[in-house]
Amino acid sequence: MTTPRIDSGKLGQLAATPDGRGAETVFTVKDLSVTYSGNLALNDVTLDIQKNFVTAFIGPSGCGKSTFIRCFNRMNDLVPGAAVNGEVLYHDRDLYGANVDPVEVRRRIGMVFQKPNPFPKSIYDNIAFGPRILKMTKDMDERVEQSLRHAALWDEVKDRLKENALGLSGGQQQRLCIARALAVEPDVILMDEPASALDPISTSRIEDLIHELKTEYTIVIVTHNMQQAARVADMTAFFSVELREDGSGRHGVLVEYDQTTKVFTNPGDKRTEDYVTGRFG
Amino acid sequence: MARIEFQASLDSLEATLQEQGSVVLRALRGAVNVLDSQDTELCDEVVAFDDEIDSRYHRIEKAVEELLAQQSPVATDLRLVLAILHDSIHLERIGDQCVTIAKLTKLASELEPHHALVEGLTEMGERAVEMVRIALDSFSARDIVRARGLVELDELIDRTNRRVSDQVLSMASTPGTQEWGMRMIVVSRCIERIGDNAVDIGEQTAFLVTGEFHEFTDASH
Repeated sequence: MTTPRIDSGKLGQLAATPDGRGAETVFTVKDLSVTYSGNLALNDVTLDIQKNFVTAFIGPSGCGKSTFIRCFNRMNDLVPGAAVNGEVLYHDRDLYGANVDPVEVRRRIGMVFQKPNPFPKSIYDNIAFGPRILKMTKDMDERVEQSLRHAALWDEVKDRLKENALGLSGGQQQRLCIARALAVEPDVILMDEPASALDPISTSRIEDLIHELKTEYTIVIVTHNMQQAARVADMTAFFSVELREDGSGRHGVLVEYDQTTKVFTNPGDKRTEDYVTGRFG
Repeated sequence: MARIEFQASLDSLEATLQEQGSVVLRALRGAVNVLDSQDTELCDEVVAFDDEIDSRYHRIEKAVEELLAQQSPVATDLRLVLAILHDSIHLERIGDQCVTIAKLTKLASELEPHHALVEGLTEMGERAVEMVRIALDSFSARDIVRARGLVELDELIDRTNRRVSDQVLSMASTPGTQEWGMRMIVVSRCIERIGDNAVDIGEQTAFLVTGEFHEFTDASH
């Protein structure tokens, strides 16, 4: 089995919405492979991510979707032994170029993780932490309020900004983490299973939030919950696990990348069909 | 094979559709039979069959609602569920046409029939039976080629329908035949609609297999 060549730029343009979302390309990924200590984890991925789209990565455990999303803000740089080969262009600039500052990359490309991870500080300080480090200290109160408003959390916390963030519910903590990512004025928000630790009501709040945020930000989300991908994403990429013919192990591959409606109504690849209909394995 | 319960529900849903199809075929054969035999008891039986058809339609509708709510089907599974619901509605409508044919035939049973016209109607009816059977079989076999073949058969029914209409018009001046003729023109129209419903089922087969919905023919046909 080989990874299909997917002209995702063309796909994205076809999928562009009447309000103009999806018309531009934010990331261009070409022939990307990732290895951990020499072991191939993800092989030969080529796709584009469109501006102001929600793009979902789905696939079984071990298919490399989390590995892949970490390539977009160079989080794999922090993993000992990880090596990224191939090309990731961010607004046509090589994200892995020698003169690129990974800290600046992570400011522009924020990330929200599976488990909410607020700092053991006040709600206010959680939001203000990033901007302070980046010396974005002007009008901090307004920045904190705007970030919390954008993350649909302001009304719930405006009277207790000095209280410890760890006192918030799981769903509120996750929205706080989203607010924290927004506070440093990012362009892209990466979400690695952002709702998998949350109850259904908190999950639907996060999904509503994703719909609101996509008008201003480009969102990439990894999710185990296929219905979540179906609900929130404009484009969906399905990754699968491929066994190497020489028996030396297994790695993730991109199987199919298309408009979400297509992936969930009439997928082009049998492997996608088997996975989305639950016949996988 | 994962999702064993879900697959069992899908299989059961499709079995109910084929069961509804069998009842519809029995009603349709009855309706075609009475055209020639004028058997008023059989007319009543055909009318009574409609409750059987409707109950299966409601069973399918309920099962589809539950499957959508509980299993969130996608891809082929979703298309199968949608196609079954559509097919069931088409079958239910065929049942309604059979009721109209039986009622009109009963009303006309006291009147003098026009034998050449009865022959034409029976020929149309037999084609309609064949079309419904092919529609159900090709859905079951996911056979698009056979499903597409329904268009040609439908053409034949349409042609006979036009011929019947012309014959009824030519009868208009013959005293005592107008009422029978008027009733039979509606019967002819009912059979013609059954052919259309069979083509509709064929289109659902194509949708299920290809994932894209296209009318087999445009409205000019």
